[in-house]
Amino acid sequence: MKKSFNKSVFYFLITLLVIHFSCTDKFLEISANEITIDGITSEQAIELVNSTYNILLSWQVSSFSWNAITSISSDDADKGSDPGDTGADKHLFDILAHDATSISVAEVWEGHYKGIQRANQAINRIKLFEDLDYELKIRLIGEAKFLRALFYFRLLQTYGGVPIINETPDINSPIEVLLRRASKVEVFEFIENDLIESINVLPEKSEYPDNQLGRATKGAAKALLAKVSMYQNKWETVLELTSEVIKSGEYNLTPNYEDIWREIGENNQESIFEVQAKGELPSVGVDQYSLTQGARGEGGWGWGFNVPSENLLNSYDPNDLRKDATIIFRGETLYDGRFVPETVVNPMYNQKAYSSAFTDYQQTGKNIRILRYAEVLLMNAEAASQLGGDVSGPLNQVRNRAGLESIINPSQFDVWNERRWELAFEHDRYFDLVRQGRAETILQSLGIPFVAGKHELFPIPNVQIDLSDGILQQNPGW
Amino acid sequence: MKVHSKPSVFYILILSICLISISFELEAQDLYSGVVIDENSSPIIGASVFLKNSTIGTQTDFNGKFNLKAEISDTIVITYIGFKDQEFNLTYEKDLGIITLIENIDELNEVVVVGYGNQIKEILTSSVSSVKGDDLTIEPIINANQALQGKAAGVQIIASDAPGAGSQVIIRGLGTIQGGREPLYVVDGILTNNINNINTSDIETISILKDAASLAIYGNRGANGVVIVSTKKGHEGKFSINANSSFGFRNISKKTLMADTNSFVTFSNEAIFWNLLSDSNPYNDNSLSYFFPTNQLYNTNWIEEISQLGIITNYNISASGGQNDIKSFTSFSLNQEEGILIGNDFERATFRSNINFKVSNKIDYSHNISIQLANTTPKSFGVFTSAYKQSPIIPVRDENGRYGSSIAFNNVANPVAQLDLQNERQRYLKLQGSFKLDYKIIKPLVLTSRFSIETNYNRFYNFDNRLATFLSLEPGNTVNNFQPTDPDSPEIPENILSVSHNNDYRWFFDNYLTYNKTFIEKHNIDVTLGIVAEANKYESLFGSRINVPEDSNLNFNLNLGNNDDGTEESGGGFSEERKLYSYISRLNYVYNNKYIFNASYRRDSANFFTKKYRHGNFFAFSTGWLMSEEDFMENSSFDKLKFRVSYGELGNSQIPRLNIVRFNQGFPYPFGPGQNIQQGGTITATIQEDLSWETTCEYNFGFEFSLLNYKLNGEVDLYKKINENAILPIELPDTFGFDSFLSHIGEISNRGVELSINWNDKLNDNFFYSIESNIAYNKNELSKISNQFFANQIGGGINNGQYTKKVSLGQPLGSFFLYKVAGIDDKGQFVYKDFNGDQEINEEDRRFFGSFIPSITAASNFKIEFENFDFNLNVYGSFDNKVYNGKKAQRFGNENIEKYVFNNRWTTARPSNTTPRASNSIPLSSNYFLESGDFLRINNITIGYTFESTKSKIFKKIRTYATAKNPLMFKRFSGFTPELPGSPLGLAGIELDAYPTLSSYFLGVNLLF
Repeated sequence: MKKSFNKSVFYFLITLLVIHFSCTDKFLEISANEITIDGITSEQAIELVNSTYNILLSWQVSSFSWNAITSISSDDADKGSDPGDTGADKHLFDILAHDATSISVAEVWEGHYKGIQRANQAINRIKLFEDLDYELKIRLIGEAKFLRALFYFRLLQTYGGVPIINETPDINSPIEVLLRRASKVEVFEFIENDLIESINVLPEKSEYPDNQLGRATKGAAKALLAKVSMYQNKWETVLELTSEVIKSGEYNLTPNYEDIWREIGENNQESIFEVQAKGELPSVGVDQYSLTQGARGEGGWGWGFNVPSENLLNSYDPNDLRKDATIIFRGETLYDGRFVPETVVNPMYNQKAYSSAFTDYQQTGKNIRILRYAEVLLMNAEAASQLGGDVSGPLNQVRNRAGLESIINPSQFDVWNERRWELAFEHDRYFDLVRQGRAETILQSLGIPFVAGKHELFPIPNVQIDLSDGILQQNPGW
Repeated sequence: MKVHSKPSVFYILILSICLISISFELEAQDLYSGVVIDENSSPIIGASVFLKNSTIGTQTDFNGKFNLKAEISDTIVITYIGFKDQEFNLTYEKDLGIITLIENIDELNEVVVVGYGNQIKEILTSSVSSVKGDDLTIEPIINANQALQGKAAGVQIIASDAPGAGSQVIIRGLGTIQGGREPLYVVDGILTNNINNINTSDIETISILKDAASLAIYGNRGANGVVIVSTKKGHEGKFSINANSSFGFRNISKKTLMADTNSFVTFSNEAIFWNLLSDSNPYNDNSLSYFFPTNQLYNTNWIEEISQLGIITNYNISASGGQNDIKSFTSFSLNQEEGILIGNDFERATFRSNINFKVSNKIDYSHNISIQLANTTPKSFGVFTSAYKQSPIIPVRDENGRYGSSIAFNNVANPVAQLDLQNERQRYLKLQGSFKLDYKIIKPLVLTSRFSIETNYNRFYNFDNRLATFLSLEPGNTVNNFQPTDPDSPEIPENILSVSHNNDYRWFFDNYLTYNKTFIEKHNIDVTLGIVAEANKYESLFGSRINVPEDSNLNFNLNLGNNDDGTEESGGGFSEERKLYSYISRLNYVYNNKYIFNASYRRDSANFFTKKYRHGNFFAFSTGWLMSEEDFMENSSFDKLKFRVSYGELGNSQIPRLNIVRFNQGFPYPFGPGQNIQQGGTITATIQEDLSWETTCEYNFGFEFSLLNYKLNGEVDLYKKINENAILPIELPDTFGFDSFLSHIGEISNRGVELSINWNDKLNDNFFYSIESNIAYNKNELSKISNQFFANQIGGGINNGQYTKKVSLGQPLGSFFLYKVAGIDDKGQFVYKDFNGDQEINEEDRRFFGSFIPSITAASNFKIEFENFDFNLNVYGSFDNKVYNGKKAQRFGNENIEKYVFNNRWTTARPSNTTPRASNSIPLSSNYFLESGDFLRINNITIGYTFESTKSKIFKKIRTYATAKNPLMFKRFSGFTPELPGSPLGLAGIELDAYPTLSSYFLGVNLLF
């Protein structure tokens, strides 16, 4: 009895042991069948940076809302489209009646912080990849910093000082960190630091392999830093940096202005930085950029928003080639042979958003030009006009290309006008007017109720302020 | 090898149990033996056999046998709960032979199947409803959990009458919104997601575990309740064969009356005219402003065109029997249904083999194996919505034989074309097998080792004939204008054939010890201890080919054509693996058959949570007092009076995949002059490391009573169930830069009362009747939110830009959040209540109007057996909820309307204050479309007649019966059905693309050979 019992217990315990030890913690370990957060290695370094570029293709960052803020609000553009189609809130921006609940200010805020988050991840993760080729590593970090600077600069232009996030936040990040607004000066400094590092590490455009065309370059970082400096009236820096870009020999003007916005003009010698968009399937393009701005109505191909204003039309010199290159006129035949019938709703449309091949695609094939050589020349001219120097040289290069006579002794106003004609619909006009201190005068003269002390900045999205427990402060007047 | 501290404690426990048992092995003079059985000749396991007036005793083993050393002067007493005691004055005959214990009163002292074992109902301290298989097979039911509707208090079953559809089961209220909401099903020890594969006739019993005391042993999967299904075993004796066959037809219970052509034309023209009048915008595209001519050719009744009389046939045959050491149960069933939606067919075959084999005195082996094959040709239930909305002026097919099209004036598909063009097949194979070994180590100590597998192999085939769809859309569409004229645009495939194979494979390895012994007559201990492990691997593969030859859809063959001829092939797949490793334990202690104490504990370790948070501990305590056993109750009128209390903690690990943050590679960017796409990847999500199972605490108080010699029995339960760390989405400020994520920030509570009362009486040998009723009340509430960044979740969208539901603090889950119609203005338009008085009707003016979840469910079952007749009537009702008439609310313009809406609409001549004017604008989601969900229906009426034959050599018994299912339904809802399953933030409680309630009539015959 006792013996058999012992035997039983023995067998039983053996069984249990076998069961148990075959099923220790090891049992619970399974090999991952996809890359998870813990599995990110230096092999993903490039992808991390590419995903940061990818945000430039998003609706929030580059498309409908960005146009509302940069163009429709300004004197260059009207809302367009059918009178009844507000585009959610675009009609409000046209008369500066938008407020903190307008969806466009919320989208631009959200999209850019998403981009900043991706840049932060790329920077902070790549830093830790010890096995990554050093040259590649610093270049990738430089690219991400360039993009981060671009995002912060655009936030700064739009909202003023904003919260600076430079780490990858986690859910325990204090709300103070996430929502306390830095001062304008602090944000400028942050942007400058990123760009100085980018300048130091990024290759020139020509130094990249051909198949990497479209990545941030030393020239792009210099041009952007020049622009950032211009917004702080650091004219010496503007002059120095633009001169360096000019002297670098990397860039030149496109002989025919209209060609810049054609497919053949993508990434050409004038291009310093542009959003790369592929419309051909499988498409990787900007979300509805061309579609929202395409001609509306029968025979059209889009929603018809962000159309050139009468004021812009009338501002051009009759000989200015840029007028026809910037504006699609109802009834005209475009460079690619497309006829724009009289049945379209609006008399004018933005030609710089027109994509010839992928006209009504969701993902447009249009590369959005962010920085071009002509703007470097104009910044150089503006700095020279401030500091005393050769204004007419760079300015007249731009004028002559546009079929206009040289100006012998150009004033600051001449440079500013040139910026308007040259850079219309390139997401600059509203900010330029504010920077130049002319927004109130010019917009009010057109009956747009610009309020000084308020409309220099756009409101922080209301939803975000509500979430912040009073930490995130609204801009004055809003 | 690593040494673990926990397991060693575990072994010590086992050893000490063994030692205790040894110390009670006693010496005596003669060995008396016997076999204790019940009236059905089944052995009684664990009956107490002891010497009168002493503490010396033993228990019967698995075969009902006992050996007890005693002297000739002793009296042996045999007791077993629920049976009358028996005494034997000993003689020299050592073999007492077969002793039949007589049941006290049969229905009450049943053994209830609980997790990893059985318990006697009498001493159960938890809330468990059990349903006998026989009660499920009175009427023909294909899906077992549908048969449970109304059978157990507190178990809400939202039935669907769609062919092959399962029902949604909610036990004691909805306790989660992000997690899985279905209970866990356990079939012969296999943990599974549903019991759609189980042949109802194979079921011996179903136990529904409702409170923490019974559920804690299922730990991380206990929170939604557990449904345990035990299938039949072979019975002792000669083989008998049971054959059933039934035939039935089904139809839509109540069809909504739609407007006819004349009414439609009048209504739509009024709406168009109103649009013209009220449209002040000269730029608007008024192409819709074309009036319908009054001389229409057609008057189509779409519901009639898409539906037919459904036909069901069921066959079932089973063989049961056994000799000596082997018993077997084998069954085969075939169910076929032609759905009421034309072409929506379902067929299912099941096969089962259950074997019990007594290997030796110490070892019992058994296996239960089942196979299910099912085929369906699914049809989109959206066709019901199209049929509701499609205009009667459109023909099914026009004079040229082409599908009638309404593209000129509305966006509703031709319902018949929709049915015809949906070419889909689904095939399911489900295998379940459990192999169990019981090893009696020493007498009361049994080691059970069970290995089970379950595999689901599901195949989906779809032939998407885009060209045919295109041609059906508009009369002007031809093969020639199918491809876009723009040469730059990519070619549209004429058809896409896709096949997907999904395999879900799991195995379970359960090892546990049970020890059941009565000491010193009064102390009964029942212990279960064990280790269970399981693994689950899900794999999916899919492939598709475009532009296949038209006839290849017949056999869904992907292998036609090659990539050079434009029949491009593509494919993909994914897999996921989950593993669980757990310790289980339960202790049940009964003192003097009066005081009961029960504790259970389970520790789970799961691979799908972060390492630090992968272990969960779940436990429950319960205690009971069988007051009727007290001496002072001897003369009371209570046959039974029991009180019980329990508390426990349960988990719900069926939460979305959370703790894995994927490197999301969906962010490409083109570089280079050729704009070559380079992959881009980033982390877009964040997680909370401590995300793990939701934990539910449950308190339960209950009492059970029996009066009038067990004729009146009742059970009352009160419970409070709190999901303490419900998972809800959080949306941090945008500067955070990540998508919204899930976190344990909520608390969801369910409180309720359940009452069931049964009356049964046998007036004489020829007349038995019973009434069983139950009613349950449950209050559901999102009772707490602990994070300010809770993303207020809205849902219940009806695809016209309008949402209807919102998750909000203090409201029940699934609450409707709508505008309130204050009246109809002098133009016949809705006037909405401006709650905040800002002169604007906007989001701020929405209010809560109640939830789709009923707070009261009730059922009654009447049974009469009179001579050879049997009669069964089942009534089921559900009350105090709301349902949204989504198909009515989902208007865009020029859809058909209900006859009622037409007849009662506001017109200048006849202003109405309840029904608005004809209009083509999208209505706001308002309480106008919200209706009461209350319903009461006759679930089932069955009349049967049994021929019992002692003379016939072939048949022992023949029963014929007629059943009416759902012949009558009292409801307030104007739609097709108030029973609307779905996800709480989806279409649950919203009638949109919903399957109607059917009335069914069956004739059947059961033959026993």
